[in-house]
Amino acid sequence: MSNDAMTGDLHGTATGALGGRFSRVSLAIVASAIGLGAGAIVPTYVAGDFVLRLGSEGLLLGMLALSVAFLMNQAGLVALGAASMYGGAGYLFAIGMSEWDLTPTVALFAAFLIIIAYATILGALIVRTNPLAFMMLTLAAGEMISHAVLLEGLRDYTGGADGLVVRLKGSILGIDVADLADPARFWSLAWIVAVLAGLAFWGIARSRLGAILRAVRANEERMRFSGFNTFVPRLIGYVLVNVVAAIAGFLHVLNAGFVSPESLGLPVSTNALVAALMGGVAGSFGPILGGLIFAFAQDEFGARGLTQLLTGVAIVVFIVVLPRGVVGALSSALRLLGLRQETS
Amino acid sequence: MLKIEKLSVSYGSVRALTDVDLEVRGVGILHGVIGPNGAGKSTLLDAICGRRRPTAGSVRYCGEDITRRSVSWRRRQGMARSFQRTSIFQDLTVHEQLRLVAQHLRDDRLDEVIEVMDLGGYLDQKAGRIAYGVQRRVDVALALIGRPRLLLMDEPGAGLSATETLRLFEHVRDLVRERAIAAVVVEHDVDAVFACCGMVTVLDLGRHLATGAPEAIRADHRVIAAYLGTAA
Repeated sequence: MSNDAMTGDLHGTATGALGGRFSRVSLAIVASAIGLGAGAIVPTYVAGDFVLRLGSEGLLLGMLALSVAFLMNQAGLVALGAASMYGGAGYLFAIGMSEWDLTPTVALFAAFLIIIAYATILGALIVRTNPLAFMMLTLAAGEMISHAVLLEGLRDYTGGADGLVVRLKGSILGIDVADLADPARFWSLAWIVAVLAGLAFWGIARSRLGAILRAVRANEERMRFSGFNTFVPRLIGYVLVNVVAAIAGFLHVLNAGFVSPESLGLPVSTNALVAALMGGVAGSFGPILGGLIFAFAQDEFGARGLTQLLTGVAIVVFIVVLPRGVVGALSSALRLLGLRQETS
Repeated sequence: MLKIEKLSVSYGSVRALTDVDLEVRGVGILHGVIGPNGAGKSTLLDAICGRRRPTAGSVRYCGEDITRRSVSWRRRQGMARSFQRTSIFQDLTVHEQLRLVAQHLRDDRLDEVIEVMDLGGYLDQKAGRIAYGVQRRVDVALALIGRPRLLLMDEPGAGLSATETLRLFEHVRDLVRERAIAAVVVEHDVDAVFACCGMVTVLDLGRHLATGAPEAIRADHRVIAAYLGTAA
C-alpha cells in the first residue's frame, strides 16, 4: 500500500467507497468557493456600514476563536494568551510603520517574524507541560506582555495607556491600506482571510499532523513508545494557531488605524474562548460563526446596558443547551435526519 | 542484544533495584522475569525502555550504551514495549492507531501483525469499546509494529484469565521464534512463564536472584526459598 493511500484512508470512513469520498470532497470545494465569493461580496451590498464593521470585528474574533479551538480540539490544550499574539502582532506592526517608518509590507513581515520567533520560544517552554499548566502559563505570558506595553520606559514606542495611532499609507500585496478603513472593503478582506484560515485548519486537522496531535492528546506516552517525537508536532501546532491570531491582529490594525492596550487584555482571550464554545470547537467554521454571533450579541446586550450580565446568561445557556456549539448542534440535527454520514 | 550492568533505580529513598546485572542474548525465545510483588520487575522494564532513568548502572543495546537515550529513539531502533495497564488510543479505531504507528515506523507489513494478534475482526471498532482481552492484544500489536528487534512486555496476562494468558503467551512465543527477535516478558503468572519461556530470571527485593533455563530455576533452592515455595 502506498503512503498516500494510507494517509488518505486514515481519515476517511473505512467503509466509504473511494468514488463517494471524491465526490464529497469536490462538493466541499465547490461549496467553499461559492461561500468564499458570496460571503465576501453579498454582505457589502445588503448590509450597512455599521453592520459590516460589527461583522468584521466578529470575523477577527472568530479567527482568534479558531486558533483557540484548533489547539483545544486537536491537542487538548486550552490557551488563554491568544490576545497577546493578536495585540502583540498589532503593536509590532504599528510600531514598525509609525516609529521605524517601514513600508506596510516590510513592517508586516518583520512583525510576523518576531511573532513566530516569540511563539516558537514560548511554545518550546510550555507545550511539554500538562494542560492545566499550559493554560496557566499562556495566561501568565499574556499578562506579562499586556503589562509590558504600559511600561514607562517603552512609552515612546507603545504610547502607554493611550495606545498608538497609525498613519496608514502605502500598500500591502497590492492592496492600498488606506482603502481598508472602508467597512465594505475591509469586510471582504476579513472574510476571505477568515475563510482561508478556516480551510487551512480544516486541512491540517485531516492531515498527518492532525492525526498525530490527536493521538498525542489521547495517549502521549504511548506515542513516545511508538517512536514518535511528541514535542515537535505540538510546537508546530502552537506556532500555527498563533500565526492565525497574529494575522487577525494585523487586520485589526489595518482597519482601526490604532492599537490599544485593551487589544492585549485577558478579556480578548476569554471572548475568543467563549466565541469558540458558542460556535462549536470541533470544526473550523464553528469558531468563526461563534465570533460573529458573539460580536452581534455583545452589541445587542450593550444596547440594553447589560453586556456582562446577558453575556453570562448566554454562556450558561449555550453550554447547557448546545454543549457542542451551534455548528455541533446543526451537524447532530443533520445526522439525525440522515442527511449526513456518521464520521469518526 | 541487551546487557544491563549494575543497574540501580531509586524512587526517593526507596531502592527499587540494586546492582542488577542481566544479559539477554538469545533470539527466538522468550526471556521471562518473575518475582514476588515489589521485586522490581516493572521497574527493570521501565529502566530498559527509558521510561525511568536509572540512578546508577548502564543499559547496553546492540553493543551501544543507551542509558541516556529517549524512549522514542529506542523505539525507532527496534526496542518496543507493551504495558501492564493497557496503553492504547481509546478514541481511535483499532486500524487507525495501528496504521498511524505503522506509517511512522515505515512498516508495510501491518497485515501480518493484525493476523498474528488476531485483530482482523475488530479493525473498524473504537479501541475503547472492545473487550479488555482484545484491547490487550491491540497493546501488544502496537509494540509489534516496525519489526522490533527487542520486545519488552510488562505483564501481558494482567486482567486476563489463566487460559487467555497462556494463549497470549503461546502466540507471542511463536511470533518471537518466527521472527527471531529477543523478548523480555515480566509476568505474574508463573505457570505461563515456565510453559513458554526459554530463559527465566528471578528478582527478589530489587536484586537479581537467579537466571537460567526454566527447569534449573524450578529446582534452584534459593528461588524456592524466596518465592516459588508453595507455587512450584
